[in-house]
Amino acid sequence: MGRLKKNGFRLAEYGFTILIVITLNFFLPRMMPGDPFLVLSSDSPEQEEIVLNEEQREFYLHHYGLDKPAGVQYFTYLGELCRGDLGYSVYYREPVSVIILRRLPWTILMVMAALVLSTCIGVILGSLSAWYRERWPDKVLFFSLILLSEIPAFLLGLVLLFVFAAGLGLFPLSGALTHFADYGNRWEKLLDILHHACLPVMALTVARLGGMYLLSRNSMTTVLEKDYLRTAWAKGLTPGRVIFRHALRNALLPITTRVFLSLGSLVGGAILVENVFAYPGLGYLMREAVRVHDYPVVQGIFLVVTIFVLLANFFADLAYRILDPRIGDYGGTRGG
Amino acid sequence: MKNIPAQPVKMIKWFHDFSWSGKLSAAVILAILLLAVFAPGLSIHPHNTSTGAPLQPPGGKHLLGTDELGVDLWAQICYGARVSLLVGLGTAFLAALGGGLVGIIAGYLGGWPDKFIMRLIDIMIVLPDFPLLIVLAAFLGPSLLNIIVVLALFSWVFPARITRSQVLALKEQSYIKSAETYGAGAWYLMWKHFLPEVFPLVAVNMIRLTGRAIVSEAGLSFLGLGDPTSKSWGLIIHHATSFKGIYFTDFWKWWLLYPWLALTMMVTALAFMSRELERIADPRLGGRRFSVH
Repeated sequence: MGRLKKNGFRLAEYGFTILIVITLNFFLPRMMPGDPFLVLSSDSPEQEEIVLNEEQREFYLHHYGLDKPAGVQYFTYLGELCRGDLGYSVYYREPVSVIILRRLPWTILMVMAALVLSTCIGVILGSLSAWYRERWPDKVLFFSLILLSEIPAFLLGLVLLFVFAAGLGLFPLSGALTHFADYGNRWEKLLDILHHACLPVMALTVARLGGMYLLSRNSMTTVLEKDYLRTAWAKGLTPGRVIFRHALRNALLPITTRVFLSLGSLVGGAILVENVFAYPGLGYLMREAVRVHDYPVVQGIFLVVTIFVLLANFFADLAYRILDPRIGDYGGTRGG
Repeated sequence: MKNIPAQPVKMIKWFHDFSWSGKLSAAVILAILLLAVFAPGLSIHPHNTSTGAPLQPPGGKHLLGTDELGVDLWAQICYGARVSLLVGLGTAFLAALGGGLVGIIAGYLGGWPDKFIMRLIDIMIVLPDFPLLIVLAAFLGPSLLNIIVVLALFSWVFPARITRSQVLALKEQSYIKSAETYGAGAWYLMWKHFLPEVFPLVAVNMIRLTGRAIVSEAGLSFLGLGDPTSKSWGLIIHHATSFKGIYFTDFWKWWLLYPWLALTMMVTALAFMSRELERIADPRLGGRRFSVH
């Protein structure tokens, strides 16, 4: 199979998955028991519940297009999605896409920062560990990182919150910006953002560090035993040159795909961590929306997050194929 | 591994090979299991009604203090262990059963069923499970059963992958080949040859799945979206952290700390245990069978 054809295959696969996710999103509210127009519920007990008569019910069903066959509704839904229309939020009284776009940057900031930091620190520590294999620095690093990485991010976040924010007062307790702050210039604002993002990003980074560390440790260990490294040493190259030019470059290859393979669980962690720190990203919004039963918002976030993760994986896949032409039909390093 | 009576002996041998961290993990898991099984006997106070003044510090009548409604925390932790273990083991069992079956089918049949299943697994691994868990909890109601089913739907890929690779390797073994030439059918091979060989590895993987499921349930409960009728550790943490101004009081020193400790100890113990067993069950893999998840 030619590379182009294979990439097309991959694209079709991801596209198909996205379609399944959209379909699920379409049918979920329709699988719920009850009829939205039997009763227009009231928010407080004092308010009278309005029972609709047949005529009114039909009016509402027609108004929302729910009297059409499911197939027609489905294609209308697809069309709306293509135009970026995710529906209208009943609670926030705004289009869902507008709300999501406003919150999205915070989540992206957090996830990206954690992704970059954990990968860089993980690779450095993993290489160190491989270098000192079976000696004390390796053993200490191995044990402590494995232990830390097994603690879920939100539990780590709680500790960070109580120790560094509440106990020592070094960091703000919640939010992404100081309320009603008057920034003198751009730098002050940036500093404030970083100050607020510090603890959430730290929680996510530490939770993901162990995985990256183990991966690069194994990868580096394998590379260090290769013949071409012996050659490099024999040529009398300096250790720095051997490690960075010869070993690390080859060891990094399998790590590149893994960076995005774990994105799904990182996003799951981010949703929880945002709630620990009341960080105004999508995760915090999602929980809020579930609690006020604002279903269009919940669905919109679910869709956006899933599509983002799938796209990131698709591009990582593509990049890996370009980086390593040896890769076969099954994507070699994916298994195990 | 052919004859069953050898199994307990083997397990004792395994335990001797454990490092100290493995032994410690085994002890923690055992302790929490006992806590869950004997919850009614271990807690003097009921776990669902108020038995004292609210927000009592540990000591005195209440071993670990009380929460904002005066409910004994020790009793809540004992009963919370039941919820966590139920979700964890239920998910792991369902996932191992389904995944094992799918893996055997993929490995044994080969061809397009195998290709299809492998592609499906690739996609499932990438999909973020937690957002879907929230969506389903929002729409279908957060009952424990729903949570278990959704978690199992996302977990079967790991046992399936292990089983498939095992079956692929086994299929080439001469004793399987000879059984086939003697007319052994697919079912016979599965029960007599594949399952006994594959079971230990899947069982080890089940421990990891249990841990993952417990974490997910705790996360969902922490958001306040879990099953409100069964008070898990995550739900206790949710109540504690939603208490206004808990940062500025001393209440977190028991109300938040003890469920946090229970959860963290359980999760890390399960992880270390599975790592240990993976090492012993399949020395070739060493630490390499570490999923980034």
